[in-house]
Amino acid sequence: MVIFGVENMQKKELIAIILVILSTVGTIAGIYGIENYRRHKFYTVELIARAPENGNWYPQQLKIPYGTKEIRILIRNIETVTHGFAIPDLGIAAGEIKAGEVKVVRFIPNKKGTFPFMCTVWCSTRHMQMRGELIVE
Amino acid sequence: MFVLVPGFSRSWCLMCPFPIFSDWFQRKRLVSVRQGKPEGLGLKWPKQLKNMWVMNIGFLVTTFFSGLFTVKPFATFVLLGGIILLAFLIGLIFEKRTFCLYVCPVSGFQGLYSQFATAEIRRKNPELCKNHKVKTCYVGNECGYGCPWMLTPFDFKKNTYCGMCLECFKTCPYDNMGFFLRPPGVDLLSDTPKEPRRLDEAWKAFIMLGIAAVFFLSMQGPWGVLKDMVRQATFKGWLIFITLHAFFCLVGIPGIFFIFAYLSKLFSGNREVSLRQVFINFAYTLVPLGLGVWIAFSVGIILPNGSYLVHVISDPFAWGWNLFGTAHFPWTPVFTGILGYIQGLVLVIFYLFATTFGFRLSKQTYPDLNQAKRGWIPILVFLTLVTILFLWLYLG
Repeated sequence: MVIFGVENMQKKELIAIILVILSTVGTIAGIYGIENYRRHKFYTVELIARAPENGNWYPQQLKIPYGTKEIRILIRNIETVTHGFAIPDLGIAAGEIKAGEVKVVRFIPNKKGTFPFMCTVWCSTRHMQMRGELIVE
Repeated sequence: MFVLVPGFSRSWCLMCPFPIFSDWFQRKRLVSVRQGKPEGLGLKWPKQLKNMWVMNIGFLVTTFFSGLFTVKPFATFVLLGGIILLAFLIGLIFEKRTFCLYVCPVSGFQGLYSQFATAEIRRKNPELCKNHKVKTCYVGNECGYGCPWMLTPFDFKKNTYCGMCLECFKTCPYDNMGFFLRPPGVDLLSDTPKEPRRLDEAWKAFIMLGIAAVFFLSMQGPWGVLKDMVRQATFKGWLIFITLHAFFCLVGIPGIFFIFAYLSKLFSGNREVSLRQVFINFAYTLVPLGLGVWIAFSVGIILPNGSYLVHVISDPFAWGWNLFGTAHFPWTPVFTGILGYIQGLVLVIFYLFATTFGFRLSKQTYPDLNQAKRGWIPILVFLTLVTILFLWLYLG
């Protein structure tokens, strides 16, 4: 059967191909697009928690602007052990961040300087080296 | 899989996405049917490899890296991506579902344990098939493709190599294919010249039992040294692990079983039945027992860690999403206080199945009832010892 010059069989295949592309490439592109928008809109910076032997905090140095604007740090634990997060000089602590868990730390950086941040849960034999620094400038 | 297999045979293969790209390539169609020669070289798989050996070794080697695949997302990606790529490449070179039949590491144990399943796909009326001269279920027609698994749906007797793709339902002009429920383990007693019991399947049963024991020890056991070896804390430790693991699965368990098979023949007093036949026949008692061991192992993973699912469905990429409001659902182990007893109960149930089928297999192996009774004793002892060993592991 021919509809609009296209055989029914071919039309069915064409629809199937479009659906496959939409459901695979479309889904992946959509998810990344939404996530990209969300990250830029809701979070100032993303921090990935990894034990030192697996790469340590990434990035290990965070730079944020001094001011009255609220800073939101998205902390993602991508490992299979529990980590923690704290910036003692600013009185900030996120508590335990379990494997695969995500936490958000919010604060207003009203002090200039360089402040160390660290993991607060014994996560590996090199736990004490799991440190980074936050620069408020 | 260890819920699907005992209930619905190889229904996992029905929904498995691994071979889809080679299917599309060979058929040059996504949904409709193209008759004629499939694309690709369409070579036949070497006769010497038309068995489970490649799958046996493939699955065993995969478990060497279990310390990576189970905990590192990138390693999981490499494994699954590699399997999909391999399935596609094999589809370019060899005919139909050669990959699923002879290579896929998951396929072997699915096939072996599906012999115990309570469901099957079979012809409804044998007479209809007998009188239907053009075997459309095998060669295909305008409604569907000939059996991609290269079976003959009009007369096969075992679930082992039926991937439940349902093409035979489409191609049968008489609607003579059916999905049937049945008592568990029917295939274990089937031994026909076309689908005989085989040594490669027997070894699959040994390997699966060995892997289950090693997985339990390394993932649910209290031995940190072993965990370090499996997760490749040191290269030397990992080499020791894979050597012992491979020896245990390929030689250790079959070797011990061989002694019991020898004793069985000795006790029976039968001189006609070959030791090889005794060994192979009784190895099928490990199908229900192995399935029980694996279900118990899976219970030991699901009950403590199943609550992660509630968290994960809301935040599947660990990006801080909360799709269904359950992203902060805490890790909640369930029934872990009685986990060992649940595992033990599962094992005992499948041990009873194993012993039931074991005696029937003994009667098939030895022609005389008294011989069967005597020959059954060493195998019963073996099954009981294995069960006690696993009960000790589960209950501590």
